[in-house]
Amino acid sequence: MAVIDRQSAGVPIAGGKLPEILLPTNCPGCGVGLDREGLRAQNYVCDCGHHFRLGADVWIPIIADEGSFQERWSGIRSHDLLTWTVPKRYEEVVDELLSEGLNESVRTGTCTLNGKPIWLAAFDFGFVGGTLSIVAGERLARGMEQAASSGLPYVLVCASGGARMQEGVLALMQMAKVNAALGALHRARVPYFSVLTDPTFGGTAASLALLADINIAEPGAAIGFTGPRVIKQATYADLPPGFQSADFQLSHGQVDMVAPRTELRPLLAHLLELYGAPKRDQDRTC
Amino acid sequence: MNVWDVVELARHPERPYSLDYIKRLAPDFVELHGDRLTADDPALVGGIGRWHGRTTMFLGHQKGRSLKERVERNWGMMHPEGYRKAIRLAHHAAKFGFPIVSLIDTPGAYPGAGAEERGIASAIASAIMEWFQIPVPIVAAVIGEGGSGGALGMGVADRVIMLEFSIYSVASPEAAASIVWRDNSRKVEAAEQLQITSREILAMGVVEEVVREPEGSARADHDAAAAALDAALQRHMQPLFELSGEELLRRRYERFRYIDSLIKAEPQFGPKID
Repeated sequence: MAVIDRQSAGVPIAGGKLPEILLPTNCPGCGVGLDREGLRAQNYVCDCGHHFRLGADVWIPIIADEGSFQERWSGIRSHDLLTWTVPKRYEEVVDELLSEGLNESVRTGTCTLNGKPIWLAAFDFGFVGGTLSIVAGERLARGMEQAASSGLPYVLVCASGGARMQEGVLALMQMAKVNAALGALHRARVPYFSVLTDPTFGGTAASLALLADINIAEPGAAIGFTGPRVIKQATYADLPPGFQSADFQLSHGQVDMVAPRTELRPLLAHLLELYGAPKRDQDRTC
Repeated sequence: MNVWDVVELARHPERPYSLDYIKRLAPDFVELHGDRLTADDPALVGGIGRWHGRTTMFLGHQKGRSLKERVERNWGMMHPEGYRKAIRLAHHAAKFGFPIVSLIDTPGAYPGAGAEERGIASAIASAIMEWFQIPVPIVAAVIGEGGSGGALGMGVADRVIMLEFSIYSVASPEAAASIVWRDNSRKVEAAEQLQITSREILAMGVVEEVVREPEGSARADHDAAAAALDAALQRHMQPLFELSGEELLRRRYERFRYIDSLIKAEPQFGPKID
């Protein structure tokens, strides 16, 4: 569990200023009827500890100081490369999601966190399952390249089913594209913090998600490469309870800590202090 | 020939596997084993041999031919130890300046509980990132199945080529059908949608060349298939020897960083850049 320094414990959590989200009437964790305002005030974490899934529109204000987020490359969109028609035309799927106000599976930009400038990228599970697409890969890679040259610490919030089927092998290639840029970020010695939320799987887990300097998992998040349904289909194995949970990944050495969302902002603020001032270009960005 | 015929050819049990090629390319091949951490993964063979006058590091997924060997080789599906072994051998090659040939032939990384427990996701992720720092020439060839992240973990190279009847896919057709329709019996439909044949992959700009197979496909004539692969690998490797390690890494970075640039060039395709 994360230990919060006294100095950064005063960092406010965004709470009541967060956008409202669609919620069930009862908590899937404890079954108790939900107090919407109370839930919002604690970053959509139920008293029982259940962490509700959030979109990028909520994650951004959870991490960023109010009004500080400057989104980049929001105008690039996905197109149908494979003339994908079933069960629905891909172009139509994208159009619909855009019209609902979502903007691809990854949104990125700069902001401050407790006054410290950072680069932020947040996956949006609501957009085709947060799948890694050409647009997502492009936004991630460009942000990492810019963070590498500007020295801004890079904070990622993951929620993704993996690579996007509808973009075929080019979606697979995004794993290499993003990890190329991630290598540049590491060589520039820029701190990279990854927040793993429910769910983080497939090509996203097998590229940028678990390669941070500090991997922080949310309690209860499912994190892995192959999903449990496919494992059962392929191996007929009975999976133990808690398989691929955040605690499972902690005990198997894949994450540094499991931290509740209510402590995330103070934790990140504290880490940013520990890792110090942004480093300038180390002349080793590529 | 329809897409599913190609899938079946790519998976054909009589199709040459990595060792069938490696033994023809480098008859003095010496196999090396182990990740130096916990295990040796028999789904990935690695070792050195003399190829066109140079000591070369060969890596390749290995499927088994007999049932016993298939089980031993885990049908060419690597565990985390396999990716760690690959990167160990890649660093070994870099230390001695050996070029690397990587042969890809896997349905995917192993989708089992043990692989998850030992960190298959981060093993693949680290391998993909690490390949960008190996300053010797690397040519990869998809010789059968190029399935998902399990294939890409061995497919970050300066040049990537494909045999004519091989496939390269974001997920196996069965897995894609299961993901998109929750019904893996719709694999044929998925294979059609995914565009996984060598010529489709070439058209997307993801590989540099499609290598023609002998009459009746590679399985009909292993020697002729190996000769064709040998010539193509050599053709792509040769110009890389002219480049410094630094230049190789710069170009490898750009190859993957802008791998979707063909798509961007087409106005109705790909991300529109503001």
